[in-house]
Amino acid sequence: MKKVIVAILVSVVLMSLPVFAAGSKESAAQKSGPMAWIEDGGVAGLPGVNPLKASGNIITAGSSTVYPLSERMAERFKQEGYSGVITIDSIGSGAGFERFTVAGETDIANASRAIKAKEVEAAKQIGRNPIEFRVGTDALAVVVSKENTFAKNMTKSELAKLFSTASTWSEINPAWPNQPIQRFIPGTDSGTFDYFSEEVFKNNPEPMLSAKNLQLSEDDNILVQGIKGSPYAVGFFGYAYYAENKDSLSILSIDGVEATNANVDNGTYPLARPLFIYSDEQIMRTKPQVAAFINFYLSYVNEEIVKVGYFPANDEELVKGRQAWLKAMNGTY
Amino acid sequence: MAIDNPHFRKKSRFHEHIIETVMFLFALFSMLITVGIVVILVRESYLFFSDPQVDLIGFLTGKNWQPMIHQFGFLPLLNATFTTSIIAMLLGIPIGLFVAIYLAEYASDRMRGILKPVLEVLAGIPTIVYGYFALTFMTPLLRSLFGQDVVEIYNTASAGLVIGILVLPMIATMAEDAISSVPKELRLAAYALGGTKIETTFKVVIPAALSGLSATFLLALSRAIGETMVVALAAGAGPKLTANPFKAAETITGYIVRISGGDVSYNSVDYNSIFALGLVLSIITFTLNLVSRKISTIFHQEYE
Repeated sequence: MKKVIVAILVSVVLMSLPVFAAGSKESAAQKSGPMAWIEDGGVAGLPGVNPLKASGNIITAGSSTVYPLSERMAERFKQEGYSGVITIDSIGSGAGFERFTVAGETDIANASRAIKAKEVEAAKQIGRNPIEFRVGTDALAVVVSKENTFAKNMTKSELAKLFSTASTWSEINPAWPNQPIQRFIPGTDSGTFDYFSEEVFKNNPEPMLSAKNLQLSEDDNILVQGIKGSPYAVGFFGYAYYAENKDSLSILSIDGVEATNANVDNGTYPLARPLFIYSDEQIMRTKPQVAAFINFYLSYVNEEIVKVGYFPANDEELVKGRQAWLKAMNGTY
Repeated sequence: MAIDNPHFRKKSRFHEHIIETVMFLFALFSMLITVGIVVILVRESYLFFSDPQVDLIGFLTGKNWQPMIHQFGFLPLLNATFTTSIIAMLLGIPIGLFVAIYLAEYASDRMRGILKPVLEVLAGIPTIVYGYFALTFMTPLLRSLFGQDVVEIYNTASAGLVIGILVLPMIATMAEDAISSVPKELRLAAYALGGTKIETTFKVVIPAALSGLSATFLLALSRAIGETMVVALAAGAGPKLTANPFKAAETITGYIVRISGGDVSYNSVDYNSIFALGLVLSIITFTLNLVSRKISTIFHQEYE
């Protein structure tokens, strides 16, 4: 009889253990189902992510500037156990938004400029409501070949001449060689092109596109190759591509300000610009792996961004992105 | 015995009927694909030409191509396409022809056994590899020969020369076929008249093979005009009207690749422009192929 009572007591205690355990962690994650990847101990207010438990594919496309950063984050996501496939197409911010808002083919749009009102409209047409996540800052780099020993600094108005009407270097500065300028710039649908025409040409790309000796490419490596090729070549692209080719390229300071961490951070570098990824609440909810990846991105981007060659976004912006994530996923886990 | 069996005979006819039908369907399929391509090209090009900013005369005669700012003159692209193709032909035709003559008239069986597989390997190399070959070998070579300041890093000469190498195996094999198909009697007659080997080859055999040879050259030219990967990598990425082959210039195919690589939004006039260019390109190569067929029938001589 005693044995029976002991047995009952023991079994009651044993059975109640999981109940107590669950009760002691009220927000404990569910361990199966689409949200299984949520775990404790997240970063900066976000729930934790366990990439081992995220599955399914993620399709992203957009800015070639954001590309190296997204690629790095995707790599780390995979290293930590994610088993699906992340596609990252480097096609320019505009084309990235196009695929995200018109064709609706992608889950995430990478962009080196903020989304335009008409792109938001287009997205609404297909039932998407773009959510912005700031992931970092780029200092757009105006670069020349290492063999170019004369150009060190440019004012913005000199830049405007350099990339449009001037045909030789000596037209910018009489002390410089009387040699034709060879220009290598990002393609017309890249955020980098948009940004540059906005900052330097007041949003009118015409002078830049009418320039002589102009090469346009969406592939920043083609630009790098071209600029390396001649002391009289000049071009611009995201800082990461400069960082990767420091040995053969020199960066110009703009209005006397160098593109250093401090100058980008306090906003004195004139060509600093934000980097974003965009997604949509519905996508994040129906494809939880997308939410997991964005969460992971926002949690660890600051550990990776410097290695890629960009600059961390200021905290305020990052917190905004994290809050947007929490709002979108509210109640799903 | 089996053949006499009427049941068996009937069944075999039925099989043949099926096979015939299947083969006809395949033939029909390839025809439908051609028709489909033409329809798409024409329809999308119509979108481009019906745009109020575009007019046909401006398209055909304009000297600036920058659709983003409404400049729709395709001469710079056409010019670059012809520059690379002509350079390719200048290299490919003489070398290809001499290789063919050597293979058909002079080479021993052993030599031919070595040369032909080598040519086939050359023909089997993917064009992207040729593209990087142009960029990383031909361009530096040209730059060291003519000077860094003369030759730009992307230039049409380098792309053209490499396309010449690319079409070389095609020219060599087709020209060899043309030369080999000249009847032996012609050669023997030339020898009988006291002709030396070289006289026979150049004064009798080559003229007799001329129809096949011209057809070969035209096909090679249309292949060079349509070549894409090499020019996309090595010729340059900005439209430019220039006669200097050491300067960068973008060809028709190069532009199509750049734009369709995600450069521009769908349904914009820039995007539709690639179909118009595709149509122009198809018309050029189609005409060349047609002319080459005509030539081979007009100049074809019977030696029987």
